[in-house]
Amino acid sequence: MTLTDNRTAGENPLMLCFDTSTAVLAASVCRGAEVLASRHSHAERNHAVRIVSDLKALLKEAGVGEVDAIAVGQGPGSYTGVRIGVSAAKTLAWAWDKPLVGLSSLETLAMAAGPYLRGEKQAAEADPFAARLTGQPVWIVPIMDARRGQVYGARFETADGSVWRRLDEDAIRLIGDWGSALAASAAEAGAQLAFVGEIGPHAAALAALEGAVALPLTIDAGEMGELAAERLAQGLVDDVHRFAPNYTQLTEAETKLGDGARTEGQA
Amino acid sequence: MAGSAGGEVIMMANVSEKKDGSLLLAIETSCDETSAAVVRGGREVLSNIVSSQIETHRRFGGVVPEIASRKHVESITVIIQEALTEAGVSRQAIDAVAVTQGPGLIGALLVGVVAAKALALALDVPLIGTHHIAGHIYANRLVGDIVYPALALVVSGGHTELVLLPEEGVFKIIGRTRDDAVGEAYDKVARALSFPYPGGPHVDKLAHQAEEEIVLPRAWLEDDSYDFSFSGLKSAVLAEINRTKMKGLEPSFGALARGFQSSVVDVVTTKAMRAAAEFGARQLLLCGGVAANRGIRERLAALCGEAGLPMLVPPMSLCSDNAAMIGAAADLKWRRGQFSSLDLAASAQVSLEAWSVTL
Ligand SMILES: [Zn+2]
Repeated sequence: MTLTDNRTAGENPLMLCFDTSTAVLAASVCRGAEVLASRHSHAERNHAVRIVSDLKALLKEAGVGEVDAIAVGQGPGSYTGVRIGVSAAKTLAWAWDKPLVGLSSLETLAMAAGPYLRGEKQAAEADPFAARLTGQPVWIVPIMDARRGQVYGARFETADGSVWRRLDEDAIRLIGDWGSALAASAAEAGAQLAFVGEIGPHAAALAALEGAVALPLTIDAGEMGELAAERLAQGLVDDVHRFAPNYTQLTEAETKLGDGARTEGQA
Repeated sequence: MAGSAGGEVIMMANVSEKKDGSLLLAIETSCDETSAAVVRGGREVLSNIVSSQIETHRRFGGVVPEIASRKHVESITVIIQEALTEAGVSRQAIDAVAVTQGPGLIGALLVGVVAAKALALALDVPLIGTHHIAGHIYANRLVGDIVYPALALVVSGGHTELVLLPEEGVFKIIGRTRDDAVGEAYDKVARALSFPYPGGPHVDKLAHQAEEEIVLPRAWLEDDSYDFSFSGLKSAVLAEINRTKMKGLEPSFGALARGFQSSVVDVVTTKAMRAAAEFGARQLLLCGGVAANRGIRERLAALCGEAGLPMLVPPMSLCSDNAAMIGAAADLKWRRGQFSSLDLAASAQVSLEAWSVTL
């Protein structure tokens, strides 16, 4: 649930941002879009152990005592991983009495393609992004592996990596079907299709798609500052107590029980 | 050391002047209860909020770990807030944060541990990772003085243990179940007797109402053993039901419940009394969710009475999983300045003996 909050955190809010939905424990301290300090550790399965001491060290490194707001990756991604970040963020926001901003982990992942689109970073896989110079739109499709041929994915459109528009909501999808459908509509729309994120487990399926590029990228917490600042500027913050991960799907047990489980789960 | 699982960091902070009036905020999320409490001086419960998920899990016939974890995240800050509000205490007044680090469901524990660590960072106070079973045992300190050496009989859905406390804060496990926990056995038998989950209390009630008893075997194990085993007894109940049905008769659930309860009570209380005598216990502590079981509670009270051994048992609200008991146990470490690092890890399996205070 999103609330409007009148505690506008000023022009350039000081924010503690983190995301634990993937194998990367990503955290940053940002002032608006400016990154004051960031850390990215790849110690999978260790997020619950490291999260709080990493945040403490990061605040110290940035020379910051108190922040104006907390921004956290709300998922989708690893269930346990997302819960770790969300639990830490809710508690910090509550204890400090600061606004909480939930961000889509997939949107943050998509933003990692920004520097390549803007030409600030280079990679062979990103060469087709040069197409942007011709005015061709680019569809950035962030994906995370969700096992059994599935991915958590979304779709964003950008012309030059600075202005973005969301085209598809975060959801769990079969990469085979969804990939082909995306490739067909990209061809029709004359858009350059680019999958970014956890490419590895789906490399074969993606390679089979005509005209698509795949760029293995990981979440960059530095990208969260700008996204969070935009939401704060609009007064779009989350209700700390009711804030919960976006899992994009019911648990297996609930699915098996059928529809009866759905409504009661809200109680 | 800081990176080790549950790495205990000894920081002899200057806490002596607050020794008695310390305010601990405790959090417990080891299974399907989200709980937070404020406890003063390890003895006085200012608040103890417990949000049970039982209605949610009942539909699945047992606790679904993924759902338990999801529910904990949804309610954690609400419950902490309620605990402070009911205690009439501000966030800033909290001296330390205590949390169950294990044992329990790992995904459920993680939520409480991460929240507790975030709270310790935000409020800049020490963190005390606490053993769940130490919590059950020290729930007794919320109702009376513990006299050492003491013997604790821990009976719950996940645990059946005989623990010797030679002195305050020191735990020695002298017996434990080799298969099912008592509460688990009760729930399984309850299912066989067609009771809904969780059925343990139904079996207890039925056993008391029954006029006849089908005598079932007792698992004494080796002569000198304080261990327990309940899976054979559970199988005996199932076998008896099948045998009766094969004869085309209706099994007497009452007589079976009574037979099952008699066997459990007999073994559990006899071993507890034998251990109390052997180790010279000056007090017997009954605790854990199944301590509410009338059969066990009444027999143990009678045996303790005969032996002249004082017995403590917390009220029901402090027997089932709750955060006040975690605050009571954490006080052992608070008074000794033995705190956890922010790298504290939740753990499904964690040693009670190793959690003993450093002398
Ligand atoms: Zn328990």
